[in-house]
Amino acid sequence: MTTQTTTQRATGSKKKSSSPRNDLLGYVFIAPAILLYLLFNIWPLIRGILMAFTDYRFVYPDTRWAFNGLENFVKLFGSVKVQAAAVVSIKYSLIVVPAVLIFALLTAILISRVRQGTSFYRWTVYLPTILPVAVSFLMFRQMYAPNFGLINSFLRGLGVESPPHWLGEVATALPAVGISHIWIIFGFPTLLFLIGIYNIGEELYEAASLDGASRWQQFLHITLPLLKPTTAMVLILIVPGVFGVTDPMLILTQGGPQGSTQTLGYYLYETAFVRGDLRLGYASSISLVVSLVTAGLVALIFRWSRERE
Amino acid sequence: MNNTRVSGNPSANTGGQRKEGGLLVWMRRNDILAHAALVVVMFVVLLPILWLLSSSFKNAEQFYNHPSELLPRSISLVNYQYMFTAIQSLPVYMTNSFLLAFGVTAIQVFCAALAGYAFARMTFRGRDIIFLMIVISMFVPRGGGLMALYELMNFLKLRNSLFGMILLFGSHLPIPIFIMRQAFLSIPKEIEESAMIDGASRWQIFWRIALPLATSAMVIVATLAFVGVWSDFLITFTMIDRDSQLTISVGIRKVLTSGYETATANVPELRGQFASEAADAAMLLFSAFPVILIYALLQRWFMKGITEGAIKF
Repeated sequence: MTTQTTTQRATGSKKKSSSPRNDLLGYVFIAPAILLYLLFNIWPLIRGILMAFTDYRFVYPDTRWAFNGLENFVKLFGSVKVQAAAVVSIKYSLIVVPAVLIFALLTAILISRVRQGTSFYRWTVYLPTILPVAVSFLMFRQMYAPNFGLINSFLRGLGVESPPHWLGEVATALPAVGISHIWIIFGFPTLLFLIGIYNIGEELYEAASLDGASRWQQFLHITLPLLKPTTAMVLILIVPGVFGVTDPMLILTQGGPQGSTQTLGYYLYETAFVRGDLRLGYASSISLVVSLVTAGLVALIFRWSRERE
Repeated sequence: MNNTRVSGNPSANTGGQRKEGGLLVWMRRNDILAHAALVVVMFVVLLPILWLLSSSFKNAEQFYNHPSELLPRSISLVNYQYMFTAIQSLPVYMTNSFLLAFGVTAIQVFCAALAGYAFARMTFRGRDIIFLMIVISMFVPRGGGLMALYELMNFLKLRNSLFGMILLFGSHLPIPIFIMRQAFLSIPKEIEESAMIDGASRWQIFWRIALPLATSAMVIVATLAFVGVWSDFLITFTMIDRDSQLTISVGIRKVLTSGYETATANVPELRGQFASEAADAAMLLFSAFPVILIYALLQRWFMKGITEGAIKF
């Protein structure tokens, strides 16, 4: 709907520009935005790609343009550490992404069922997303604390003798971080699903129930298929952030214990900014591969959403 | 959003059962089960925050003996007392956060309003192509972006500078420009045309007529900018390591991990009266308080910004 009016307006004003008027003031108006955007967004975008083909080490400034061809990529694809980190990233995505989808969809369906209190529900659901990420993750660290954290105090109350040290054990650290990540990001998908559900016409359900379809069948054959575009949009929005996750590792685990939360995002961050001679070039090449993989995933999701229609 | 359908028209569904009377109709209309399930969901969502809130009002004895009780048996302000007297860096971080957030908000509203107006209403060569490029560039993944940004900020001597961070975050403009352009497009052209006939200049039309009509879009841009910047961790963490320039959302981690012994060294009179975990809870809440407040006060604008943005993209 909006795009339609936009194009109408755009063609409407194009007629005007066919008269040879070229409003130079327009360039003045866009100049501040364009200059800022070029300098702090477009340049890093280009430079980041170039950097991936260099052996730039921050502590040696003269290596800034030391191009080394595909060496970084050869190295990273053969690196055991990168492979291990890739496995952790994939595991993490498999924990977080499906859970966000399911939890958001269920919450949205519930909210769509009620007539009162929807604005409170929507507000609450989005609250975690606006909190500063560091606050949210640190809050979960408090929750997971071995002795006086909410979770373990509760478990002890139930009679569990020695509840796990959630963030400190290899088996539990990654899921524990993942759960806090789910809590933080599920709000926006919920709102998107809610919009998607509201946009499905009531008539479809009425017709279906006249035909004797149960509520479950209605959900399976009407709601789910019609929410496919929304699902794709949600995936496109969350997959890059989850697969490239860095924040909780910086805030909570530093990749530990024993590398069990060492994701690609965290590994490349350490390579660039923490370890040794700060190999920005090599880190950029890892980052480039990560973003190409996510771009590929996004393209696949996009194609899936366009299928059969 | 479909507010009208959600809240405005409750009788539509229940027309047939009007005879059954009050409670039954209400239950049918509201789907009691859905409400019950939602209460559980909301409790889970709010639980960490509520627990933090209750912990922040517990003294040492209360916290260590009953860490999981959501209602403190007595209210103690010792954690807040400790926070405000002993943590010297907290006011510094807080001030920095406010400076950064206000600076970025001002830059974004200014740049996006001008550019949005130009893209919506002015005719100049390349206008549509430039706009399209901005929108498309938003979806290009930033491989190596953070590393390149680090090099750039270092080169410009803007690393460790709040001013540099204002410019950096101020440049996140595609969505603000998009929102502003959309707002200007929705103003009827006739209003501006009649002003033009009256001899107003381009600038006057923008400043006196168009801009006031786009106030709500500017509020949306401002709130999204403020909250987004306040909450950032990764970029600020990477660019700033000098304490005097740090924001609260990054500095909070330093404050919390500083440990009980060093913390109580400043306030020996509070030693033993509070639990460091409970003090941490108070500080976490304090550092998120501004965004929670804005979110509570401006929720209408938020929902508008979020949902409209989502639908339009």
